[in-house]
Amino acid sequence: MRPFTRFLAAAALSALTGLVAAQAPPAATGLDERVQQTKSDVIKLNRDLLVLEEELLFPASTQVALFVSMDVGKLFELDSVQIKLNDKLIANHLYTPMEVQALQRGGVQRVFVGNLKSGSHEIVAFFTGKGPHERDYKRGATIKFDKGTGAGYVELRIKDSTGKLQPEFDVKVWQ
Amino acid sequence: MNHPRSGCAAPLRGGSASGPAKPAPRRSLGPAIALLVASMLALAAPIHASAQVDAAVDVPLAKGMSTSVEAQQVKALHYGDTLFNFFQDKHFSAITGLMTSQHFNRLSPHGDEAEVLRGGLLLSYGVHNEAGQIFASLIEKGAPPSVRDRAWFYLAKIRYQRGFNSQAEAALARIEGRLPAALVEERGLLQAQLLMARGDFAGAAAVLGPMTAQTKVASPFARFNLGVALVKSGASARGTAVLDEIGRAPAANEEQRSLRDRANLALGVAALQDQRPEDARRLLERVRLNSLHANKALLGFGWASSAQKKPGLALVSWTELAGRDASDPAVLEARIALPFAHAEMGALGQSLKLYESAVSEYDSEERRLDASIGAIRAGKLIDGLLDRNPADEMGWFGKLGKLPEMPHAAHLSQVLAQHEFQEAFKNFRDLRFLEGNLQQWRDSLGVFRDMLENRRQAFAARLQPTRDGALAEATKATSLRQRRDVLVSDVAKAERDGDGVAYADAAQRGLLARVEGLQAALKTQSDNPEIAALAERVRLTAGVLAWDLAQAAPARRWTTQKDMGQINQQLEQVALREAALAQAQRDEPARFERFAARIEALSRQIDAALPRVTALKAEQQGAAQQIAEAALVNQKQRLAAYTLQARFEIAQLIDRATVARNEK
Repeated sequence: MRPFTRFLAAAALSALTGLVAAQAPPAATGLDERVQQTKSDVIKLNRDLLVLEEELLFPASTQVALFVSMDVGKLFELDSVQIKLNDKLIANHLYTPMEVQALQRGGVQRVFVGNLKSGSHEIVAFFTGKGPHERDYKRGATIKFDKGTGAGYVELRIKDSTGKLQPEFDVKVWQ
Repeated sequence: MNHPRSGCAAPLRGGSASGPAKPAPRRSLGPAIALLVASMLALAAPIHASAQVDAAVDVPLAKGMSTSVEAQQVKALHYGDTLFNFFQDKHFSAITGLMTSQHFNRLSPHGDEAEVLRGGLLLSYGVHNEAGQIFASLIEKGAPPSVRDRAWFYLAKIRYQRGFNSQAEAALARIEGRLPAALVEERGLLQAQLLMARGDFAGAAAVLGPMTAQTKVASPFARFNLGVALVKSGASARGTAVLDEIGRAPAANEEQRSLRDRANLALGVAALQDQRPEDARRLLERVRLNSLHANKALLGFGWASSAQKKPGLALVSWTELAGRDASDPAVLEARIALPFAHAEMGALGQSLKLYESAVSEYDSEERRLDASIGAIRAGKLIDGLLDRNPADEMGWFGKLGKLPEMPHAAHLSQVLAQHEFQEAFKNFRDLRFLEGNLQQWRDSLGVFRDMLENRRQAFAARLQPTRDGALAEATKATSLRQRRDVLVSDVAKAERDGDGVAYADAAQRGLLARVEGLQAALKTQSDNPEIAALAERVRLTAGVLAWDLAQAAPARRWTTQKDMGQINQQLEQVALREAALAQAQRDEPARFERFAARIEALSRQIDAALPRVTALKAEQQGAAQQIAEAALVNQKQRLAAYTLQARFEIAQLIDRATVARNEK
């Protein structure tokens, strides 16, 4: 019986230490190095492609980009945003909980990018969601702005007005 | 289920000690258990890494990255856009968007933050070398202290992951205490791991002790590692107390429950080593029956019972264990431990039957393993995993939660939990994502080419009419310039004459002509006395006219000069427009050419990268399959050893029966 118990003990040891080998850090194999390099190369290639795409489709002289941001966001639970540029609907976005959370953490959503001539333009944005006391809430924000020769960035901001205990919506033009 | 004693307790306690007709032989478990405990503690020490084994390999790192980017006031819209993607775990969109914005210099004043984020994202993709360069570069260039500290921290992590422990410790030592709260504990854990890696368990305990004392919300991992460090540094009583506390504490989630099970398992095995089977049983009872560690606990519980000379109790746990999925070595072990316990109890006939049954089950299991190996070789493992575990983007967050649909998939649950396999599969999935990404871009470049061609054609179509228009404009401008030059000449003459005649209006010019005509006519009749009065009137009229012209001249001169200035300005604008048009006619085709060249260059890069990615993907798939296959081959080898041992025991039992019969 003695050899058997020794075998069992050894087997128990192997059973109980099965994870040890799995814990060791991976060896830096040639394959690992090549995969690393390839990932790095393709990420850079993507950068170059995105730059080309932007320069080709949205040159700086005519580019206009609209962003949505949220400051705190406790008083307004964002459901959707609808944006009109010069009375033409250009964006209609329904938000997922993850997107709302990303906005609340400081993320800024680029909701539209397009081209616009120099001159005067008007943006109207409608935000829908739940306001204080779970009430349905729909508010609009309007701005007229002059598009110059450089890229134009417009930020649609949702803020909490602690004084009024109401959400506020405003628009900021970045030059 | 949350209670430590739940789950495992009933069946483990339920066994009775009935049966043994003669005392079980004394086990030689002491040295084996000592090794076993050492292995458990070694396993336990880098709990961070073990958590990686249980879940996704580098989740702690990626989590650290995400939590270190805290809610913040964004001062550059495009940096906010990157964060928007990052906070949704869309890491590929985040890093490529970030690098694009870096190209356009639109991340100021978040430049350093953006670099830290880029380094962290590359790190989460396993691109250690470049990530290391980014952090080193941030440090070299003298980034602000808070950025530098994070850079040192991530450098330390990279070095640790690559096995450069002393350099990792050096990097940690450079942190000056400005890490975000989310990284402070992680730093402590890393430092303790490094200390334990070089055997300084007391040092590790000294790091972990204050961490767990200072905050009530210290991660259970920190407390677990503290317990392990204390035990291994010789402070067994304190270490055991810490682990025991974890082993009894309520757990809020599966991660903590698993850690609690692990603590109890480690303590139970340690008790076995110390020849305290009663304690071992008590501790192992706390492990939940559905835990990752349950099989090992059941096996250990059987050993503890057996050491207490209670084979009946051992039978209960081993019977439960033997009925479980045979892909776990502990289960295979139980299938021969079970007849062993029967033999201990003197039930030799039952023991023989169970050994024979074990041999039969091992044979069946071997055939199933062969089928699984065949399926792996046919690529069904990787394909099945992809089907059951889809991921939108490349990265670490695609966990392997579901087994593939293939014959005997349960064999793979152990394989899938392996760090090495997860690494290989993650790389494979990343490469697959990149392959799709490059194919999409190849299509997009085709669209860009067409778009550019359309623009060229539209430009060419507009060019001739534009040129014709420009030519007509130029002709007009030339005529205007000529007229302007004549006017300039007339004005100059008027200035020279100084009589204001050049500025005379139409009526005055008519009067001047009539006066000149009269004066000429009067000259021919100068002898006529009647004419003298008329001549005098003409002279007076001419004088009045000259006076008027002289009076009006300054105002008229000013008006004329003003008009001339305007004409010159308009002509200059015409000239500018002509120049701009000419420039555009030259530049636009050149711009088209530059775009076309870039499209072709990038297209060539894609064409070069795609086969490389595809080949690497195949190679990586092969590597992952080899890891899985090797694990199953190991299982087969274990099976063969168990089968051999079971056959040996069968032969022994038959011999004993024969001897007994002969003695009768």
